[in-house]
Amino acid sequence: MPETITIGKSELRKDAWKKVTGAARYVADIPLRDVYYGAIVRSSVHYGHLKSIDTQTAEQVAGVHKVVTAADVPGLPVFGALVHDQPVLAVDTIHHWGQPVAIVIADTKEIAAQAAQLVLVTVEPILPILDPVEAVELNASKLHADGNLLAQFEIKDGDVELGFAEADVILEETFSLPLVSPAYLETETSVAQWNSDGSLTVWVSSQHPFVDQAEIAAALDIPAEKVRVKSGVIGGAFGGKEDSSISIMASLAAWVVQGTVKLVNSRQESFWAHPKRHPAKIYLKLGAKNDGTFIALKAKAFVDTGAFASYGPAVGIILTETLAGSYHVPNIELDTLVVYTNGPLAGAMRGFGSPQSHFAIESMVDMVAHQLGLSAIEVRKKNILREGDQLFTGVIVNQSANSLPLALSHAENILREFEMIEAAPGKVAGSGMALVMQSMGLGAKVPDDSTHQMIWMPDGKVDLYLGAPDMGQGLIMTAEQIAAEALELPFESVSTVDLDTWNSPNGNVTCASRMTYMVGNALVDAAEQLKSQMLVQASRMMNRPLDTLSYKSGNVITSDGGKIPVSEIISRAADDGIEIQSKATFSFPYPDETTPQNLPIGMPHVLFCFGAQIARVEVDPELGKVDITHLTAIHDVGRVISRKGVEGQIEGGMAMGLGYALFENMNLKANGQWVDSFTEYLIPTFNDMPLNFRNIILEIPEESGPYGAKGIGEVTVPPTAPAIANAVYNAIGVRATALPLSPEDLAKL
Amino acid sequence: MKTLQVTFLLNGFEKTIVSAPNRTLLDVLRDDLNLTGAKDSCGGEGECGACTVIVDDKAINACMILIGQVQGCAVETIEGLAENGQLHPLQRAFVEAGAVQCGYCTPGAILAAKALLLENPHPSDVEIRDGLSGNLCRCTGYVKIVEAVRLAAAEMRHA
Repeated sequence: MPETITIGKSELRKDAWKKVTGAARYVADIPLRDVYYGAIVRSSVHYGHLKSIDTQTAEQVAGVHKVVTAADVPGLPVFGALVHDQPVLAVDTIHHWGQPVAIVIADTKEIAAQAAQLVLVTVEPILPILDPVEAVELNASKLHADGNLLAQFEIKDGDVELGFAEADVILEETFSLPLVSPAYLETETSVAQWNSDGSLTVWVSSQHPFVDQAEIAAALDIPAEKVRVKSGVIGGAFGGKEDSSISIMASLAAWVVQGTVKLVNSRQESFWAHPKRHPAKIYLKLGAKNDGTFIALKAKAFVDTGAFASYGPAVGIILTETLAGSYHVPNIELDTLVVYTNGPLAGAMRGFGSPQSHFAIESMVDMVAHQLGLSAIEVRKKNILREGDQLFTGVIVNQSANSLPLALSHAENILREFEMIEAAPGKVAGSGMALVMQSMGLGAKVPDDSTHQMIWMPDGKVDLYLGAPDMGQGLIMTAEQIAAEALELPFESVSTVDLDTWNSPNGNVTCASRMTYMVGNALVDAAEQLKSQMLVQASRMMNRPLDTLSYKSGNVITSDGGKIPVSEIISRAADDGIEIQSKATFSFPYPDETTPQNLPIGMPHVLFCFGAQIARVEVDPELGKVDITHLTAIHDVGRVISRKGVEGQIEGGMAMGLGYALFENMNLKANGQWVDSFTEYLIPTFNDMPLNFRNIILEIPEESGPYGAKGIGEVTVPPTAPAIANAVYNAIGVRATALPLSPEDLAKL
Repeated sequence: MKTLQVTFLLNGFEKTIVSAPNRTLLDVLRDDLNLTGAKDSCGGEGECGACTVIVDDKAINACMILIGQVQGCAVETIEGLAENGQLHPLQRAFVEAGAVQCGYCTPGAILAAKALLLENPHPSDVEIRDGLSGNLCRCTGYVKIVEAVRLAAAEMRHA
């Protein structure tokens, strides 16, 4: 690869300096004067008719300014990314446990919390529906006006019955996936400040500040330009912060009391009322020939979106599109139902449907291999997608599929290595693997433009105005590296201005494994514009023809070998009132000629990331306890932009996948309430991670990506759980069909 | 309401505050002293370690002790770790190892590591993991945090 300035290197994240000294300001840390505190009154039933809300006693408490209810919402009482079905505050019906009903606004958080206990909410409970299969039964009560089936995706390719007729072996299984939480460490927080000119300033911890701006404006019935949304430092998001609930409530409260109101969800509130990963039941039937070739796949998936739609339909799409994993199956029939229940709302979460589908298909592939007496590698080699293959959606897979045989050949060696290692006394060892295919982007026909800006400052440094937030994953560092490379400047010369909807262009939502790709492509374009402007200004000032000038590493070069630092030109241009700045928009490409047009909105996805993960486990056969001793990740990133950044994404994604495999389960407790604390909801700790961890990063350039780069954020999560489940099977011969793999279940099985 | 006067060393300087007795050290640090490096994540259950500070050379969860309990103690927060603008070796190692993503757990993890190294200047990876096992991180998978502590320990031994 050619020599680079910064691409592919491990730069030091500039935001890290503030984060290690405690100076980074997350929304709850922003110092503001005269702040009121809000406490949210929440429902304590799963489902019911909301009869009345008596705020009188609470409002008489000294230090309480107001108790806000749905009656105080001046504009649209509901919001939602895809469907407007989520009330800002409950109206008439309680749809889930912990739904916001009222907001108490008081001088201190203690007073607000005490007064919240005095708000009398009268609800006539109804028997809740908590199972997605029950929810679509004919006699199920209707949770929303249009019924309980939110969306359905049916796809057919070939003739699945003919396929099964030709199969030598057919296996069927139903897999169950739990409700899990993104469990970012910073809970949802927002501060809203009413300004005397009738505008609002709202600080958010959000993946979509421009959506927040629009939804706040709609709820308050004011023009969007009256709402200024500023991004705080974000303490993790993983998809869960694509929900405007908390910022709309803070804004409403600030609007009503004409002051500044701070709302911080407790961990319990975060569990109850913020989007989770969809629980699912996935039935698969896979038919194969004796040599391992897959010939037919039938699937039916019930996806539980909980009380409100959130991103449910879009999650259903990606789940459907990844049900066949990284494999070519000629005959396919898939049917996915996305269903409302009275569960906590599920929405976007890292992987977006694909962790669910991959647990099913990657377990099934090992089951078929075992049945046929083939190895996990052999059966996968037979069926992996190849460049030029047509998917069941009609999309042709590009060169990215060339990473699959490479990943498999690494996996083969690693499995062999793992199998040589002896188990600890009293333990049984096993190794397993899984492949992964994760899409990038929002899907065809979904508008997906991302705009970003750069300004060349008189000191020769460049300020980036990114239109989409960094949720902690390192988007800013990646963007700065790409901008520096494109402008031939050192990494240190580029910095990023905090996102503010009044100053920043709209970069769209930070999601869908596409930020490096979208932001990078826009910045490469913006950098070219910036260099052209630089030369135009130089030509004007120096009175030399444009074609005698060129740009090189922060200098304008003249045809006779002269070299003028850009800072000189920018300063002189500034004196003339000219700013050297550019703004560029990148639109995710869905070329008409190659994108099938006969599918629902959001389908198909056309670019993919592939990879493999291999796990070695040691199981205590009596107690059913699983120790993960080794994990190896093999992922194709197209091109590494930031080496430590990529490694960190993979390591963190695998930890999340490990939690999905072994512990995480937001189930109903015996008392009828959801698990809602870190005491009961276990995320992986230091000691849960394997001591032997390895990253193998492949670089097969994505031709449409900036410097060949593509996404890595989500693809790291889906293969971990099935790799572990396959390893457990190979250790003790027990096939778990439900996550998490609890010791009780493994010992019972 | 009854109040309490509490005097303690805060990042090397004597501090006297007056507070209601039912408030935690975390409440006082964040709300009264504007030292927001210590974070709340689990809701005051001592499960996440995001509010870890050092009290008399031991890492503790600031959400789990009442303000009166630090009377006469030496309290160190992340804001006091850098000296004369120079980052502490642990802070530098976290930056250099890529151990910081969202950063919400970072102050607590650094202080837990500092307390660990006070007790055990030469920890193995297993000891680092044990020493920081009360500090949750959802972004990094912990790999680079262990690396950062290992790097800083080596540097501090040589210093």
